[in-house]
Amino acid sequence: MSEKTNVQSAAQASPSILEIRGLQKSFAELYVLKDISLSVDRGNVMSIIGPSGSGKSTLLRCTSFLETADGGDILYDGQYAVNGGVYASKAELNRFRTKFGLVFQNFNLFPHYSVMRNISEAPILHGQNKEEVSERAVQLLKKMGLEGKENAYPCQLSGGQQQRVAIARALAMQPEILYFDEPTSALDPELTGEVLKVIRQLADENMTMVIVTHEMAFARAVSEWVIFMDGGVIVEEGEPERLFGEPSQERTRQFLRNYQQ
Amino acid sequence: MSLMTMILKMSEGLGKTCAIFFLTLLFSLPLGMIVALLRMSKNKVVSSVTRFIISVLRGTPLMLQLLAVTYGPYYLFGSNVARNKLIPVVIAFAINYAAYFAEIYRGGIESISVGQYEAAEVLGYSKFQTFMRIILPQVVKRIMPSVTNEVVTLVKDTSMAFTVSYTEMFTIGKQIANSETSFLPFIVAGVFYYVFNAIVDYVMGRIEKKLDYYR
Repeated sequence: MSEKTNVQSAAQASPSILEIRGLQKSFAELYVLKDISLSVDRGNVMSIIGPSGSGKSTLLRCTSFLETADGGDILYDGQYAVNGGVYASKAELNRFRTKFGLVFQNFNLFPHYSVMRNISEAPILHGQNKEEVSERAVQLLKKMGLEGKENAYPCQLSGGQQQRVAIARALAMQPEILYFDEPTSALDPELTGEVLKVIRQLADENMTMVIVTHEMAFARAVSEWVIFMDGGVIVEEGEPERLFGEPSQERTRQFLRNYQQ
Repeated sequence: MSLMTMILKMSEGLGKTCAIFFLTLLFSLPLGMIVALLRMSKNKVVSSVTRFIISVLRGTPLMLQLLAVTYGPYYLFGSNVARNKLIPVVIAFAINYAAYFAEIYRGGIESISVGQYEAAEVLGYSKFQTFMRIILPQVVKRIMPSVTNEVVTLVKDTSMAFTVSYTEMFTIGKQIANSETSFLPFIVAGVFYYVFNAIVDYVMGRIEKKLDYYR
């Protein structure tokens, strides 16, 4: 495996920050992911759409090591984190973890920490300079439209504000790729907009992102590439205008039709 | 014997009552955490054995455990009964209360959502950092009411030390009651415990209030 890793890292030309090949995952008898392959290039936004239970969230959870895949490869920057279902060492996985961030559906902010500490503690624990981190946190909050909320506690914020703090927290680690697991599904329609706005802003700044979402119009507007999943497989993928405009698969058409109603 | 003498005599035992109380908390609060973690161990043997021990400690009278720890060594090995009874008394209390605290901790730890662990993991917190920084502070807040309950019970349970003739406040009260054929010492004891618990209630209330800054 080390041989392969070396070959791959020598070939840094590969612009893919994330590559997945033949990923498989089952819970007991249930196959949730069957042979999923995809790659995400730097600066690109990929959206993953599909019905509930299609495996989209599990896919993100596998790429962020929260679930253990049964088979397949996961590569970051051309280096194997998972090779044929075999995981790299704990230390290596920790190194890969610094490459991505994850924004959860339920925010999962730390309720006993102020906004500032939520954002800044992890980078500080990673040995980064405290003042630099604080400075960065202030800038990120500003960018999220949450100026002056440093000392607030999560329970004092609206859902939309909490999710924006969660995004700032993920960004404070300076990840190379940011994952969103249905970031607006727990929000009122009114608050959804403010969260989508900051994600769109990140896309404009060429942040690399993979977004699992039910917001079709948003996925269409913001993505370079869209994947439609159902039953643990990628049914169809393509550029957003093509996939939403003229889907080639009946299953995709059916799914999108249900959404338009 | 005048009421005043009675109160003064019984006050002499208050120091020992406090000793049992504070030493029990000092040992049982951390010990309970160790027991809770063993109880939640992924190792089936460890968790089952711990579970059994907890069930024995909670399922048999504290009085019996006091007697067992104090006089057990004499019956088993013929060794002398400890001259300072405080030691066996505190051991028995600490072990017994650790079992109760362990279950309170376990309930608290299990009530924290998986999302907290996952968020910490993705952010690169180690398992230890996650527990100490993210989980434990939230657990402490959640279990405060149950812990207060146990602490209040402990204040009253110290009176059980009389079974091994450790001369804490209640034991002295009982002696006076016997020699004076009076019920008054018991009333005095009741007032002592009530005041003690009023203080406990106040202190615990303050701690709860301090943790009230978040939900």
